[in-house]
Formats: sequence, C-alpha cells, structure tokens
Amino acid sequence: MRIMDVAFKDLKRVFRSPFALIMMFGAPLLLAGLLYFAFGGLARGGGSFNLARTRVVIANLDETNSVTGSFKAGEMLITFLQDEGLVDLVEITMAPDETSARSAVDQQQADVALIIPSNFTRAALTPEQEASVLLYQDPTLTIGPGIVKDLVNHFMDGFSGAKISARVTNAAIQKNGATADPSLAEWAAGQYAAYLESSSHAAALHVVSPSGESVQGVSSLAMIEPIMAGMLVFFVFFMGANGAESIIHEDEEGTLARLFTTPASALMILAGKFLGVFVTLVIQAAVLLAASSLIFHIAWGKPLPVSLAILGLIVAATGFGVMLMSMIKSTRQTGPILGGVLTITGMLGGLMTNGIPNIPEVMDKVALTMPQGWALQALKLSLAGGSAQAVILSTLVLVALGILFFVIGLTLFRRRFIS
Amino acid sequence: MLQKAIQVQSLQKCFGEFMAVKKVDFEVQQGEIFSLLGPNGAGKSTTISMLSCLLKPSGGDACVMGHSVIREPQAVKAAIGIVPQDIALYGDLSARENLSFWGRMYGLRGNALSARVDEVLEIIGLTDRQKDSVDKFSGGMKRRVNIGAALMHKPDVIIMDEPTVGIDPQSRRHILDNIKVLNSQGMTVLYTTHYMEEAQELSSHIAIMDQGKIIACGTHTDLVRMVGELDRIHLTINDESAKIMADWQTTPGVHRVSAEDGHLTILAEDSNSILPHLFEAASRAKVRITSVDIQEPNLEAVFLHLTGKALRD
Repeated sequence: MRIMDVAFKDLKRVFRSPFALIMMFGAPLLLAGLLYFAFGGLARGGGSFNLARTRVVIANLDETNSVTGSFKAGEMLITFLQDEGLVDLVEITMAPDETSARSAVDQQQADVALIIPSNFTRAALTPEQEASVLLYQDPTLTIGPGIVKDLVNHFMDGFSGAKISARVTNAAIQKNGATADPSLAEWAAGQYAAYLESSSHAAALHVVSPSGESVQGVSSLAMIEPIMAGMLVFFVFFMGANGAESIIHEDEEGTLARLFTTPASALMILAGKFLGVFVTLVIQAAVLLAASSLIFHIAWGKPLPVSLAILGLIVAATGFGVMLMSMIKSTRQTGPILGGVLTITGMLGGLMTNGIPNIPEVMDKVALTMPQGWALQALKLSLAGGSAQAVILSTLVLVALGILFFVIGLTLFRRRFIS
Repeated sequence: MLQKAIQVQSLQKCFGEFMAVKKVDFEVQQGEIFSLLGPNGAGKSTTISMLSCLLKPSGGDACVMGHSVIREPQAVKAAIGIVPQDIALYGDLSARENLSFWGRMYGLRGNALSARVDEVLEIIGLTDRQKDSVDKFSGGMKRRVNIGAALMHKPDVIIMDEPTVGIDPQSRRHILDNIKVLNSQGMTVLYTTHYMEEAQELSSHIAIMDQGKIIACGTHTDLVRMVGELDRIHLTINDESAKIMADWQTTPGVHRVSAEDGHLTILAEDSNSILPHLFEAASRAKVRITSVDIQEPNLEAVFLHLTGKALRD
C-alpha cells in the first residue's frame, strides 16, 4: 500500500509541474507538428492534402460507333478523374468544346484543360491507332498540372493493355492460318477495356493508409508517422529519466532521508518511486497516441501490436531512466545526462533520422544497438499494420533490456541509500 | 519508576578514519524533554541519525522504547517521529497533502487519517492555510509543517534536530510552546540545539556534546553546579574608592570583589538578597552606582568551563 502512496504522490507532483507537462505532451506534439507543417501536409499519409486542388476543365469530344459499342473511353477517363479518392487533388468542370476549355485556362478560371478527341475511344481500341488526349495548362503552374498529367498517364497505361490484347488476338488468328478480321481485334480490345472498366483499377491510385491491409512493410509509411513515433520514443525515454530524477531531487530536498525514517522499507520506497515513473509513462504514451491520432490522423495499428510496442517502450524507458539516474550524484549533473546521453543514444537509435528516405542500411543495424532503436522498430511495425507476432520480438528485447537496466539501477541505488 | 524511552550505550559512528560520535552514553526517561546541546559539528545530528535508523552505528547500540536500532529498526521507526534539521517537505503539495502523505507512510488511512490531519493542523496553527502549497509559506510556517509531519502517527518519542534554526522569533516561540504542550500530553522529546536558552527553557535533562563526546549530562542545576553557584554582579560606579570596596567585601554572601577601570565585579551567592546591601553601603559612602548587570551561572559558562571555548565558537 505504501508503494502506491509513494507512486501516487509522485504522480501528483509530476502532473502539477508545468515543465513536466510540456516535456510529456507539449514538446513531442509540437515538434511533430512543426515537422508536419514544414512538409506542407505531404508528410501525412492518409486523408487530404494541403495543396490547392487543381482545377481541370474537360472538353469531351469523344464519339462512339457500332464497333465501339457501349464502351466510351472518354467518359471512362472523366469518371476516373472524378473518383472520390482524387477529390482532394482535382476539381473537374466540363466545357462544351475545346475553345471554351482553352479559354477557361487562358482566363485563369482553370489550371488545366483536358481535351478528349472525337476518335479517342476508337483509337484506344484499334491497335494501329494511337489514343491521345490534349493537356493545355497554365504555364505558371507546375505541381497541379504535373499531378493531372500523371493521373492521365496512369489511365492511358490501361489502354496499352487493350492494344496488346488486340495485337495478341490478331497474331493468334494469323498463326492459325485464318484471316484477321479487324473487328475481332477491336472486340478483344473492347473486352479488355470492359474488364478494366468493371474492375477496381481506380483503387490502384487510392492512397492507402500505411496500416491498411494492402500495404506491406514499413517503407510505405507516410513521413509524419515515423516522425511522431520517433518523438514518442524520445520523449518517453526523456520522461523516464526525468521521473527517476525525482529520487535525486528528494535526496537533495531531504524528503528521501525522511522517508527512510518511516516504517516503509527502503525497497518499498524505491519500488513506489519506480511505479510512479512507470505509470507516468503509461499516461504519457496513451495521451500522445490519442492526441496524434486526432491531430495527425495517425493510425498506430491494431490494439494488440501497438499495446505490445508501448509496453516494451515503457519498460525499457523506465529501466533506462532508473539506471541513468542511479549513476549521477546531484541534480546539477542531470542536464548533461538528459541532454547528452538521451540525445546521443536517441540519435544512434534512429530517432532523429527516422522518416528520412534512403538512410544507409547500416544505420538500421546501429539503431538496434540502442533500446530506442528497438522501441522505434516496434512502433513502426505496428504502424505498418504488423501483427502481434511481428512486434513481439521487439517487445521482448525491450522488456529484457528494461529489466536489465532496472536491476543495474536498483543495485546502485540500494548501495547508495540502503547502507 | 519511569521507563526509559531512549537508552544509548557506547554508541559510536565512524566515517572512514573520522570518528563523528565517540562512545556516547545517555538515557531519556519517558515523558521528559531531553536536550542535546552543543556547537555545530559536535555530533548531535549523527547521533540522531543513528537513533532514527538512518545510519548504522559503528559500535554500541541504542534502544528506543525498548527496541534496538540495530536489531529492530522497523519497530524503532514506528515509535519515533523525526523533525529533520532542514525542511523536508514537498513544496509543491499543500500543507494538508503533505501531512496526509506522511500519515499514510505511517499506516494511517481513511477517516482516521483525515481526522488526524485536522488535529495536527490545529496543533501547528495552520488550519486556515491548509490548502496552500508549502512553497508559499514563510520559513516559520514551513518549520511548523515540518514538525506536524512528525506528529501524524502520535509517536511515543519525537526527535527534533534543531527545529528553530533560522526562523523569526514569533515562529520560534510557537514551536517552543508546542513542544511544551506535546510534552505535557506525555510525549517524550529528544531535542538538539545549539541555543543554550532553548535547552535551558525546555529540558529536564541536558547532555552537552562536543567533538563527538558527551562532556556533561544532568539537570540544569546539576550542570551549573559544575562551575560553582556564584552569581556575577557587574557594577559601574562614579568613585572607585577603597572604602566602598572594603565595605562590600565584608557584606555577608559576597565572596570576592575585584575592580578595573571603574567596573567592579562581585562574586556572590545570591545576587537578589545582596544587592540591597550593596546599594545601602554605596549610599552611605556617597558613591553613585550607574549600572548593574547580574549574570547567573548558565550553560554557556558550563561549556566554557568544560571546553575552554564559547558554545557558539
């Protein structure tokens, strides 16, 4: 019971300290937020972009005939651009003809004009013909028209398949000694195009949440998520050391000696203080997870894997903090310890370079020599939608490291205070 | 027969080569106020640290309420309340929260805890300020909370290590009065100080410590008897004649009269009864007494007598 009393008292003190609150919650969210806004929202994976939507005016001149049947490539392109997954990227309006569309761009009422020619469907289905559309853009713009161009290219790639299927059909007919009927090749291309239309090809352009089932590995994480994971790990480790520092504070304030004059044993008192640190970190991690989910829309993963990752993080951070603080003599030394050791180990653990693409592979190996590296790996696996089995190794390593650090710290504290 | 609350036998403490406490012996009876008087560095706080189980003795033993500090530290801790020399409180917690926390550490819970907090706040006179954080208190108020924390579990023995250092006279008075009240309720008090007046005012027994040793122990009367029981009467007169000195020398109860630059010092058994005779003789000799200062034997004199140095050197 006295363990709980000591822990509760420490919690009360921590949550009344503006400095502790800032370092627990304010600093990690603020830093992640600054990086997030510095990257203009592109750092975020799911949800909307902060880029202004590109205004696209379309003149659909596409005509169909008996050969093309009900297949309308022009309309298919328009439908593709109007997909709800692209709503945040492009804003579509229609123009009756090419002149009106170009005029809209010239008058800066639109950023890009997309002219779909009258033979678009037929050319798309005919192997010998080249299906093309005309993009007319505001010359002062680059990003918006570039996005539209990429989207159209992506769509047009689909027609390459149709053409290939037409050619393959022709070749097969000729190989069998039959006379190729152009309408048969067009039929084959039409079938392929119909398949494209009926299939969920548009989903290929959906920006899938990194935690979504379809995404494999951590490389596809958006930038904000690993950054926030790095901040979470760094500041949880910071608070672990900061919480353990209360033992040194109490030693200097005389309250630790007074505690030792009570019937509570020294081990009980130290256990209470460590419990206080542990609970503080649990609350900190829970609040940061919830806040980052709300503010940055980060999906941290499934409940079990993320819980395992957080458990490992907290055990390791508590043990690491206790060990660090057991090695210092006074609060005057805590500045270099907190600022120096945690920053260096955090850097080696990959917390500062996290989210930057194309980091040398050796850095990943170096990161795993630090507890922070394992904690970050566990969180990234959870962020990537990894299962409990994927996270469990990191968690076990973190718990083992945490216990090892804790035992070292406890031994040093016992030598110091229980003589 | 009074039971012994504290019994210290050949207690010693070494820090490396340095012996801070050298085979100290003393006893404190239940219900008394016992003072350890001595200059800074005399070994008082080290002795108290051993009695409160913070330091293990290097030799000897001490029993508090019959429990050995070496063999039964938990029982000793439960029986004592410690008032440390420095304020040992949580400044960011309120007075009530501090008292409540320290009460919990002694096993108090629920209504009993709440009621005891109210009682202690009343004793230390801070009921009105109970919700204020201790950081906002004056030095004297902090000292009072510091004492209150030691009273929470109604200890048999309260050990106070210089509880009035660095506080205003009003708070000091409040603390000394509180100690007397607690003692009148049956609490045994072991009090360390380097203020002779406090030891003299509060204690039934006093042990004088210096350089790790107890150099004298007894009641105030016992101790002053060590330097004799003569009062010193310092007089300033306008005419240092041989006649008046001879008259005063023959006054019954006067042991010696010495003169220097118009200042006379008379050693006498009882200054109160002798002074009228001195004034009468001066009047007859037409000598005017311009100042009188009486010094009764005190602990300062005892310390000076025993160590050759002043208590506050």
